[in-house]
Amino acid sequence: MNLTSLLAAVLEQSTPILLAALAAMITLRANILNVAVEGMMLAAAFAAIAVGNWSGSAWPAFLSALVVAVVLSQLLALLTLRFFADFIVAGLGINLLAAGGTLFILERHYNSPGGLRPIAFPDIWHVPAGSLSWLPLLGPAFEGQSIIVLIALVAVPLTYVFLYKTPLGASLRAAGEDEHAARSAGIRIAAMKALSLAMSGLLAGLAGAQLAMDKLHFFLPDMTSGRGFIGLAATLFGGGQPWMTAAASFLFGFFGALGDRLQVFAIPSQFVLMLPYLAAIIGLTFARWRILVRNRPARIQDNFQ
Amino acid sequence: MAPALANFARVIRAPLAAILLTLALGFLLVASITDEPVRAYRDLLLANFDSLSNFALFLNRATPLTLIALGVVFSFRAGIFNVGGEGQLYAGAVTATVVAIAGASLPAFVLMPLAILAGLLAGAVVGWIPGVLKVRLAVDEVVTTLMLNIIILLITSWLANQVIRDTTAYGAVSWMVPSSIWLPPLPFVPRATSGFLVAVVLAIVSWLVLFRTQWGAEVRAAGTNLRFAEATGVPAARRVISAMVIAGGLAGLAGALYVLGVGHRFEQNFSPSYGLVGLTCALLARVHPIGSLATALFYAMMLNGAAYMQISTDVPRSLVNLLTGLLVLLMTARLRRAAQAT
Repeated sequence: MNLTSLLAAVLEQSTPILLAALAAMITLRANILNVAVEGMMLAAAFAAIAVGNWSGSAWPAFLSALVVAVVLSQLLALLTLRFFADFIVAGLGINLLAAGGTLFILERHYNSPGGLRPIAFPDIWHVPAGSLSWLPLLGPAFEGQSIIVLIALVAVPLTYVFLYKTPLGASLRAAGEDEHAARSAGIRIAAMKALSLAMSGLLAGLAGAQLAMDKLHFFLPDMTSGRGFIGLAATLFGGGQPWMTAAASFLFGFFGALGDRLQVFAIPSQFVLMLPYLAAIIGLTFARWRILVRNRPARIQDNFQ
Repeated sequence: MAPALANFARVIRAPLAAILLTLALGFLLVASITDEPVRAYRDLLLANFDSLSNFALFLNRATPLTLIALGVVFSFRAGIFNVGGEGQLYAGAVTATVVAIAGASLPAFVLMPLAILAGLLAGAVVGWIPGVLKVRLAVDEVVTTLMLNIIILLITSWLANQVIRDTTAYGAVSWMVPSSIWLPPLPFVPRATSGFLVAVVLAIVSWLVLFRTQWGAEVRAAGTNLRFAEATGVPAARRVISAMVIAGGLAGLAGALYVLGVGHRFEQNFSPSYGLVGLTCALLARVHPIGSLATALFYAMMLNGAAYMQISTDVPRSLVNLLTGLLVLLMTARLRRAAQAT
């Protein structure tokens, strides 16, 4: 197995997961379990292909993907923060709406329920071949990756700086950790949550754009295939911290890249694909168990046995 | 009699309002894209009753929806936000199929209950996991049920593709289960599964259990406030776990009855996200068992009616997916901050 091609495959597989994970992380820090990342990604991917097909240039397609995802996130914010809808139910509603809406447009407008495959589609900027050959190992792996891969890598330190080094990020985390305390400190809870959802929409839009615009250049109704949920799993596994979330995303991306190549060892691909979800459940369980053990008073421990 | 009637009216008022609102929204959408919105809507709602075979398909569709919705009722009444209906359904369907194929040599009167029981138990186990993790370790049940859904769909995909795959058929489908253990059809309605009767009976039983027994009262108390219930001597943690076991069991039963009564084999994509639609039905019915039966019937009508509508007019059937999305999005919205509806 060629190490450079494996690295390139890991980068490619990890990018949508990493962006989805950051999208879920930024709302998790505002105490919102964002199950709608999947739907925002799907809608963004569709917008990218539809607008790219219509306009014939890459930047409008890219921007419309971001806009659609942010609009969906603000629809979710409106319903949950202004009309007090349940976050999980409304989030699942966003997913259903994205899936149903794209399918409806495919059937109604394009007359092809199977998907949308433009004959020609504009290319987004990719790292030119040979431009990074001076960098051993990593350089060739980056060649040919889309600009969204680079944005995703930059987004990790950016979210870290935003959450931990800016007053706005601190307010956002405060709103997520203790609403009452944050409110008495003068923080506007609803504004913070809406902001976190908007950032989440932006990141999910990037993830959808990467899926549609990097190599495939077409849209399928089940195109996201659970990547939004893998991202959610990565965030939970990473405990909502940017660096750990990124590490978990790359781990899951690595498993995904490996999954295609594991046929050699006769392991069914389904069991490899399952690892992120198992890791999320086990990771969460383990974290809760440690908290429980740490907080248990030593003297009355025996009564609980 | 009058108070009972008033009570009944109170129970069905909320779901009725939500349904009418969705239908009105849908009508506006349909009217904007077709010249014959009335025709489209007549087919969407009433084509199910045009013929006995349409009616049979309608009952077949309503059966899994009702059972899953009842499961959701049990878990939500116990305060567990169970979105794992899809995984529990698939676990039940695939386990019933595996047992039926592996035990094909057994006599039918042994194999049929065995396959149904196996499906029920598989669903129950899948419900038990998030229940225990929630009660003992406070692991968020939304996460565990969501993740379990995908894990189980991957397991069934492996089984359907590699282990019990019908090599003569196209796609990821299992071998047929022995025809001796197929559920008998409903009396007077050929091709309708008698599983529908099971669903109706279980809806009534669920209401009795939840609202007319000590056990049900304890489940609801645990769901309202777990620590308060524990403090007043209710074994709340155990009640929550058993409610989740029942929830999973009902969804698993839905899968087993589907295989034995309708599909006669396991198909990897047999469910048009029954899990989420079942959850929608239960929430629309304000997590009430009898109301859930009504909303499940309504949804089965819409899901099947969409196909008839697509044939007779140029409205695509995915209109129903779009409407479902809108409905779920708006379903829990309130104008004012209110206490939990349950």
